[in-house]
Amino acid sequence: MITASITVRLFAALRERAGWAERQVALPAGAAAPTPASLWRQLGLGDTLPAQVRVAVNQVFASADQRLEPGAEVAFLPPISGG
Amino acid sequence: MADPLPGNIALQLQLHPERFDPLVALAAWQRSLAASGAEPAAAEAHFIGRVRGVTAAGVPLEALELEHYPGMTEAQISRLAADCAQRHGLRAVRVDHRVGRVLPGEAIVLVAVTADRRGPTQRGGQELLEALKHEAPFWKREWSGGVGAWVEGNTAF
Repeated sequence: MITASITVRLFAALRERAGWAERQVALPAGAAAPTPASLWRQLGLGDTLPAQVRVAVNQVFASADQRLEPGAEVAFLPPISGG
Repeated sequence: MADPLPGNIALQLQLHPERFDPLVALAAWQRSLAASGAEPAAAEAHFIGRVRGVTAAGVPLEALELEHYPGMTEAQISRLAADCAQRHGLRAVRVDHRVGRVLPGEAIVLVAVTADRRGPTQRGGQELLEALKHEAPFWKREWSGGVGAWVEGNTAF
């Protein structure tokens, strides 16, 4: 049986602080859909999502409070420094 | 590589894992615009950014490391370019950006745009560059004395 899951990705300083780049979080049948903010807590990344950390869902910037669909890819992005 | 944006704007976007020559990229872009058969735009603005030789703390820099989010970085640059093109009436946009390890003096970014007038061209190019620096997922790490430090935020405008 295939278990529904969500992929969580970390980048740059966040990845190195946590010591991992990607995790699959299984979704127990019947449980409420998680949000990026709830996954942040669940994965031991911190109590509350810091204001400077941005969230992307399926590679588009998104709210930390949106409900995640099975199969979604959520990424936590530290402050951007491009160019 | 050339994706049509809303309003028939042509975007050429390239991320380079190795050193690139911005003048070669510009020449290729201009040749492709000429080959498209479209009437040449009257105004064209270019910005080339290079890695400075000192860190934010003022010590000599060995290298800058550029991390990105494959897939999202390209998609986000396309969205930013489309948005900027629409606001300023740009006709063509070219963006080149380095990823990986970049040495002092090497080009890190090229933004080139065309439009019908110098004002919208220069404003559109400047706005797209600023959008890239703040809204496209890239992260810099400065290497100095064998130690890497993530850069949080951007240098002064």
